Formats: sequence, C-alpha cells, structure tokens
Amino acid sequence: MSLRVLNPNAEVLNKSAALHMNINAAKGLQDVLKTNLGPKGTIKMLVGGAGDIKLTKDGNTLLKEMQIQNPTAIMIARTAVAQDDISGDGTTSTVIFIGELMKQSERYIDEGMHPRVLVDGFEIAKKATLQFLEKFKTPVVMGDEPDKEILKMVARTTVRTKLYESLADKLTDIIVNAVLCIRKPEEAIDLFMVEIMHMRHKFDVDTRLVEGLVLDHGSRHPDMKRRAENCYILTCNVSLEYEKSEINAGFFYSNAEQREAMVAAERRSVDERVKKIIELKNKVCSGNDSNFVVINQKGIDPPSLDMLAREGIIALRRAKRRNMERLVLACGGEAVNSVDDLTPECLGWAGLVYEHVLGEEKYTFVENVKNPSSCTILIKGPNDHTIAQIKDAVRDGLRAVKNTIEDESVVLGAGAFEVAARQYLINEVKKTVQGRAQLGVEAFADALLVVPKTLAENSGLDTQDVIIALTGEHDRGNVVGLSQNTGEPIDPQMEGIFDNYSVKRQIINSGPVIASQLLLVDEVIRAGRNMRKPT
Amino acid sequence: MKELVTIQVGDFANYVGSHFWNFQDELLGLAGDPNADSFFKNHDLNMDVLYRTGVTQQGILTYTPRLLSINMRGSLGSLSSHGTLYKEVTSFPSDVVTWTGKISTQACEPHKKNLFLQRLYEEEENLIVTNDTSGSSNGSQSEYQDKDIVESLENGVEFWTDYSKVHYHPQSLYELNGVWMDAEDFNNYGIGKDSFSWDLQGEEISDRLRFFVEECDHIQGFQFVVDDSGGFSAVAEEFLENIVDEYTNTPVLLYAVQGHRACTSLQSKKRTVLEDLHDAVSFSRLSSYSKLIVPLGMPSLSKGKVSKFLHIEDEKHYHSSAVYAAALHSISLPFRMDPIGPTTPASSVSGAVDLHGVIQMLSGQGRQNMVSILDVAIPAPALFGGQNEQSLLENLHPLTPQIAEDVEDMQGVECLTVHGAYASGSHRASVSQVKDAVDAAFQCAETNPMFYHLSVALCPLPIPLSFPSIFGNQVGQHGELMGGPITNSSSKGSLDVYSIPMAARLRSSNAILPFVESRLRNLHQFGIDRGAAGAQLLRGWGFGREDLEEMEEMLSKMVATLCPPQLSSDSD
Repeated sequence: MSLRVLNPNAEVLNKSAALHMNINAAKGLQDVLKTNLGPKGTIKMLVGGAGDIKLTKDGNTLLKEMQIQNPTAIMIARTAVAQDDISGDGTTSTVIFIGELMKQSERYIDEGMHPRVLVDGFEIAKKATLQFLEKFKTPVVMGDEPDKEILKMVARTTVRTKLYESLADKLTDIIVNAVLCIRKPEEAIDLFMVEIMHMRHKFDVDTRLVEGLVLDHGSRHPDMKRRAENCYILTCNVSLEYEKSEINAGFFYSNAEQREAMVAAERRSVDERVKKIIELKNKVCSGNDSNFVVINQKGIDPPSLDMLAREGIIALRRAKRRNMERLVLACGGEAVNSVDDLTPECLGWAGLVYEHVLGEEKYTFVENVKNPSSCTILIKGPNDHTIAQIKDAVRDGLRAVKNTIEDESVVLGAGAFEVAARQYLINEVKKTVQGRAQLGVEAFADALLVVPKTLAENSGLDTQDVIIALTGEHDRGNVVGLSQNTGEPIDPQMEGIFDNYSVKRQIINSGPVIASQLLLVDEVIRAGRNMRKPT
Repeated sequence: MKELVTIQVGDFANYVGSHFWNFQDELLGLAGDPNADSFFKNHDLNMDVLYRTGVTQQGILTYTPRLLSINMRGSLGSLSSHGTLYKEVTSFPSDVVTWTGKISTQACEPHKKNLFLQRLYEEEENLIVTNDTSGSSNGSQSEYQDKDIVESLENGVEFWTDYSKVHYHPQSLYELNGVWMDAEDFNNYGIGKDSFSWDLQGEEISDRLRFFVEECDHIQGFQFVVDDSGGFSAVAEEFLENIVDEYTNTPVLLYAVQGHRACTSLQSKKRTVLEDLHDAVSFSRLSSYSKLIVPLGMPSLSKGKVSKFLHIEDEKHYHSSAVYAAALHSISLPFRMDPIGPTTPASSVSGAVDLHGVIQMLSGQGRQNMVSILDVAIPAPALFGGQNEQSLLENLHPLTPQIAEDVEDMQGVECLTVHGAYASGSHRASVSQVKDAVDAAFQCAETNPMFYHLSVALCPLPIPLSFPSIFGNQVGQHGELMGGPITNSSSKGSLDVYSIPMAARLRSSNAILPFVESRLRNLHQFGIDRGAAGAQLLRGWGFGREDLEEMEEMLSKMVATLCPPQLSSDSD
C-alpha cells in the first residue's frame, strides 16, 4: 500500500486477487496447450488476418505464434520456450504441469492454507521426484555402436505426436540415420551438421535423407553442366569478383585511360585467382573422366564464371557459411581461404553432383560421398505450412535422438513415469514430511498426474477410470502406461514408448520453480505507461 | 548494372519503404503507359538495380523488389507474408495432410481490405477478365471514385501495407515471432536486445538476405533503412554485424529513421531519460557497423522549413514517411544511372555514381566523418525563378534533426541530386541547364563546400494515387510552384498533383556536430556519471561499464573529427 503514496495512479491488486489472477492465467494457458499433448492430440491450424496458414501441434511453435498479453502467462511461456531451447521438447508438458500445480494449489489456498507452506512442500517433492527419476530411468549403453532400435523408439515417440503414423515412422528412420551419420566418437553431437532443406513439391512421403549435401542454389552460368559424376569438390572462401578497393573510389583518375588501366589492374588480380583454381583442376582432372566443382562462400562474377565454365568447371557462389563446414565433413578435403597454396589434398570428393530446378528455385545435390559425417534431410511437401510442420517435427526428433545418446538413458513414456512418481511421493515421501508441508507434497504428486489425465482426455477416454486403472496396476508393482487406443494399461517398454530423460528432468525442475514464484506473489502492481489505458 | 539490396527493419522503416516502392512501381507503370510524358518513358534509369526478375513454379515471370523487410508479427495487415504472386498450387489450403487426428482451426478475423487495396485487387481481376473477353463491363466496375480512395487512405492507414501497391517476393517479408508485446511497448534498445536472439531468428534472416545477394552479379551495396525509435535498433545492429561479417567489402548506406514520437507535456523524467539513452546507445551501436549513417526524423516535420509547401500531420506516419521516402528516392537515382562514357549522346541523366562512390565521397576522404545530413527540397523551385523566389540551394532543408544552421565548413562535401526541375515557369530544364545553374549557384553562394557532386535526371517524382494529400495549394499539377498567397485551404493530393520536381542532397558537414554532441552528452550524463539516472537501465540492457566507455570514446572521436581544428591552425 505504500506504493499508493508514491504513485497514486498505480493500480494495486491485493493478495487473494493477485493470486487468483496468476492461477487463472496459468490455467488459461494450460487450457490452450492441453489438447496438443500426445499422439491423439489436436493439431491446430492458425489462420492469420491475411489468410496465412500455420499448422502446428508443437507447444513451442504455438506459444510463439500467440500474442500473449497477460504478464503471468508471458512468464510461463518464457519458461516453456526456454525449456525447448535447452532440451528440444517438453514445452507443452511444462505449461500443463505449471497449470496443474497452480490448480492443485488453488484448492488448498481456498481452504486457507498459506502459499509458503505449499511451496515448501513443492521443494521437498521436487527433490524426491528427481531422485526417483534417477532410479526409474532406463540406462542405455551407447558405446561405439548405439542401439539403433532404442534410438528409433525415442524418435518415434516424439515424432508420432507431431505427424501421422506412417509418415512419422518413415521420418524416424531418416532422423536416426542422420544423427548416427554425424556422430563422432568422443565428441558432442552438433545437430547443425544435419542440414534441413525443403522443396515445395509433391508429397510429404517423398521426404528423404541425402547422404551428402543439398544446397539451395545452383551455378549461375548457362554453359555449366547440370549433372556431373566423379567430382572433385573445392570448398573455398575466396572472393572471385571484381571489388573496388578502399582507396580507388572511382573519381581519382583524371582521364578515361587511367580509369581503364586501374580497372584492368584490379580485374587482373581476380583473374589470377581464377587461374590458380583452373591450374589445380587441370592437375587432378587431366587424363581421367572426373569433374571439378567449386563451391565458394564469397561471390563469383560473370567474367570469372565464364573462365571457369570454359574449363568445364561447375561453380557455385555465396554458399551458406555453415555449408562450408558441412561440405568438408561430407566430402572431405578442407575449406580454403586463399588460392595461394592449393593442393590436391584440399579437395573433397563426391560421386554425383546435379542440379534440380523448381521454378526460380535451384537446388544442387552433392551425393554419393565417401564416409560422410554431415548429411541433409530433404523435406518435401505440397505447401509451406505442411513443410514448416514437418520441419518442426524433424527438429524435435533430432533433438530427442541427440538427448538419448548424451543422456545414456531414457524414461518410460505414456504416463508411466508420472504415475510411478506420484505413487512414490504419496506412499513413501509424504510420510517422512513433517506438518502441513505434506499437503504441498500431495498437491505436487497429484499435479504429476496431469500428463496421463490429459493423454486420456485427448483420446476421448474417461480420466477417472484411466487413473484408477493405472494407479491400481502400479500399486501391484507393475509399471504401466496408458494405451491411447484402448484406454487399457500397457507396458511402455513393450510398446516402445520412451521419453527423454533430460526433458523430463527439466520439466520437473522448472515447473515448480515458476509455480512457486507465482504462488508467492502477494501484490500485483500495475504501474507505468499503460496504467491509464482501460484494461 | 550493379544491384542494390534494400533492407527495411522496423515499422516506420517499412512505412517509408512502402512509399519508396510505390514510387518505383509508378515509374515502371508510367514507362509502359503510352499517354505518359516522354521523360517517364525514357527515364534512363535502370530499374533492375532495385528489382529482380523471377519466375513462379507455374512459369509466370515476376518482377519484384530486391528487398528484405523485417517487422513485428501482425504488422502486415491484410497482406500475406508470402506476397501475392507466388500462390500455392493446392486447391484447398484447409487440407491437413500431416495429421489424421483432430484438427482445430483458429482463425483471426480477416483484416478488411481498404478501398485502395480493393481497387488494386479488382484491377488485377479485370486484367484477367479482359484478356478473355475483351472487357465489356469496365465502366461499372469502379462504383467508388478515386476521391473516395484517397479519402479512405487519409482517414485510416493502420498498416504500412494499407497503401502499398507493390507485389513482394515471398522471401521479402519476414515477421518477428514470439516477442509477446505490443508494438508500442517495443520501444527501446534494451527490449529489442532482450527479445531478439540472433541464434534463433537470425539464421533465417541471413538466409533470406543470402537469397537476394546470391543472385547479384555485381552487388553495389545495401540500402538499409532502420526504424531507430525502438527495439528494432537492436535487431538492426545484430543484423548489421552479421552483414559486415559476411559481406565485408559490400558497402552499407544506413538510414536511421524515426517517426514522430508522441510526447506529452506530462511525460515523466524517467521516460525522457529512457528516450535519450536509447538514442545515444542506438546511434553509437549502429554507426559502429556502417560506413555511412544518415539520421532522419524531425521531431516535428510540419513545423520544419521543409514543409513550406506541404501540410503534414505529424502524428500520421502515412504522411511523414512519404517525405522521407521521396528523399530516399532522389538520393537513390544516381545509383541507377548507367555510367556513360564521353562519347555517348546526351541523355536524360547525368552524374552516375554508385553507392561505394557516394560513401567514399562523403565519409572516406579528409576527416572521415561518417554521419551525413539529408536535405531535401520538395518540391524543388524553378531554377531561374522570379525575384521573390529563393534559389534551389536555399530551398534545401534538412530532414536530419538537431543540426546547426548557417555554419561554414571548409571541408564539407555534398552529393546533390536534382530531378525533374523547371527552368522557369513550366519549362523543364535540360540536364546541362541544371548543371550550369547549380554550378553558378555554388559559385555565388556564401558558404561553399570543399567538393560537390551533382546528379541530374529529367524524370520528376511521380505521385502515385496512394500518396498522401500533403501538398499546399501553391503546388501545381506538375509540381510547379504557383504564385499567390499561402492559404490554409485544404491540401492537395495525388488527384491534383501528378508529379513534382525534387532536389535532395547528402551533406557531410560539421553542422551535424550538435546532433552527435547531444548523444555524447546524454550518454555521459545519464549513463556514465556517478549516480547517473539511467545507469541501472543500461545495466539492464546488458551494458557494462567498459561497453559504455567504449561507446563514449567512439562518440567523442566523432565529435573530435568534426570540431574545427582551431588550436592547430593557430600554431601553424
């Protein structure tokens, strides 16, 4: 209230109003995202004011598309989006978990309980749940040859929540192979080495893995070959265009001859560089039927292209910076920054290089490479929103596989973990807690059940029945999850439903933190520039 | 032919850009119009410098601006972010092919197209119809008059797309997602820095830029317009950093534009500090990544000298952006003229120079002052007017705020573009007449720049239908200035004025000194001083003490280069 004295215009919400505002915001956000969850969730089609379509079943994408105004909701959304940045998945779960924690707390608070006590209970429950997760997780030995089956199961679990089954299964193979392709022993996996390229063309099932690289541009000379076999690849970052140097601004010459001379001199130095490349080409290609491809990060101007074309060299300019790295990993050789000491060792190799043209869009495929450690997932779809959605799913799948390899463990899915953790909290942890913090533990435990509950709800099942069946099985010592088709308990291990360990841990970690912060808010002050606006 | 790539970042930048491209579109239209004046038909300006040729998947040729526009999600109004030309082939967009489960559709209320956009749409439809059946019902189509269209634009421009008549390439329009705030709250450097992450969004932005650059055979540079009044300064800074890194030798001409800031007398001290610090930080950050920066944005355009013949309503972005766009158009003309040898016959243009040349001229020589002033005469007066009319040079008034007037600068450099000027009355001046007149004017002017470059074109600025009604009643149908008292009767717009002569100039001069000094002073006073009012704020924006000192040093260096070297000249 002291703020009233300082700023009479500020609008102050008192304790219970503030709390309910937070709770309602959390519940509201939960309601929006809840239907996303699981393989039976609802896909959302967002149509913008100008008719732009966006398809998504991804909580992360949906949150970013929404124009959220409520400050509490923004706070939750930020946490959830951060969740995605860190672990690649679990946005929806985070939001609904926070929402459920708030919902459970509301019950107790309405009965007169102080939020502080609840928050203490959350803290205890969180620690216990994390410990339980350590026990519960299924270790996966990676070694030199990771178990492909388990990776596929993890990827499938994720991708099937985003795409229909047969497409998901097709993508699963592609995703796992892509990650295994770029994986190097003893090194962290750099998912950027998987290029994701898209073509607006044909059908979504034409999506495929290209061992090698697909570039989204082609050569800019009419005489260059559109298809070549047995290619040496020169990856370089050398300017092959005429650039004005800093000093010769263009008006320091006094007559036309001087200007000509200056231009000629500058042109000559570009030509020298092109000639060095041609020399190398002649060295490696003479006497055999191999071809030569230059892929340059800098520009190549028409005169240089002409010179290269005359020698039968295919040249691409302005390649993506990341593709320089990818090319070297896919084809071998090294990326050169100067043409001064070119040797045949700098060159990479590809069995096939060809161009594909779609309207004004050109694609260059660099394929049939030896031992690639970079690859491309080529997504095809009939329209932009389909492509965007598949792309999102592929990204999530890649992250899931990467997480599995790095975690060296997985967690049983289909709600099995949540039910097990809840039983553990209620049956064992709660007894060890003194006083009313017990209720906090209980609220936390019940909140965990939101995952199986939502899965059941999205499948059109009766949530009560499902929870009773699941907890019953768990009490009997069977770790089961929910079958979305029948509503019966199933063994996720048998069905191959696995979630990421790190994603689960992140959700358990961040959910209660945000919920606690929101619960402990006792005053909301609306001040600042917007305060005069009616809200 | 040397290509320019245009980049527009932020709302006001796109308002300016929208007018700019409308001018270009009008020029293209007039060039093919048999009834147009001859100077529109052969304007000797190479439009390919700004435009790209493409083809859709259906094989239809397209001609679209080589442009990358960045703006907040939802700022495109009724325009689809994919543009209109590259329509998808699918018959039913509602088909969801990737999901067999439930689908829920959430549709925004479609933005209603205003009369202007409806007209554009109808014209396009008509074109198709008339191709099939030699158009019989043409007359009945336009039941609303041009007058209504102009009026509807005057009364309600909500988005920059509302008055845009240009077709954009699908790669051109990028919307910033996940900012989660109103455009009006996105109003300072810190917020922009917070909500934009290059790792997440930059990849796509730089990919889109690469798309346009890859096509260029000889790119001459980037024409970068940034809305410098809010969070987009930080976005632009990150983008510029990336451009400088990626395209090291490609020059960037940076226009930092600011729309009218709604300032009330009730404005709190805190808010003033925030704005001043934003200006200081953003100016020093942006200038560190560009070769030439041109700050634009008068606090009140309507009261400035520029609007001697104009009636501008400051709070309408639609109005003020038109003036800035006209100036940008004039400045960009020399970049599109084909350089000609001494043997080529007299043409309708003269003074071709590329972006690199202009930057070198203004900032590369002598004292290396990288901040330029933009002056404009809209419309430009006749070269040999009556006695009571001022000469062309005296009619150039700044669009850059906070600059000194009547300063003498021995080292000044000016790049002047005059196009469509009248000799006297309603006789267009020839290229050589303009040259002679300007040379003479510089001869007899009291203060002379060290060096000036003049570019002349015959082609005046065409006024498209979408241009706001901002002309005073002294401006004639073709932009000639008519005598008579200035009355406050209603202003003229695109229905009464078809084209106007223009003059614009970039000026490197120490007149910019107060502008830079005020930024330096504010940064010091509010940010660095002990107990400064904005120290906390700057920490929140992620600037440590060293960063601030670095910025301060940079600004003081700029000031130092501009200060007249009084002491040293005494000792000589």
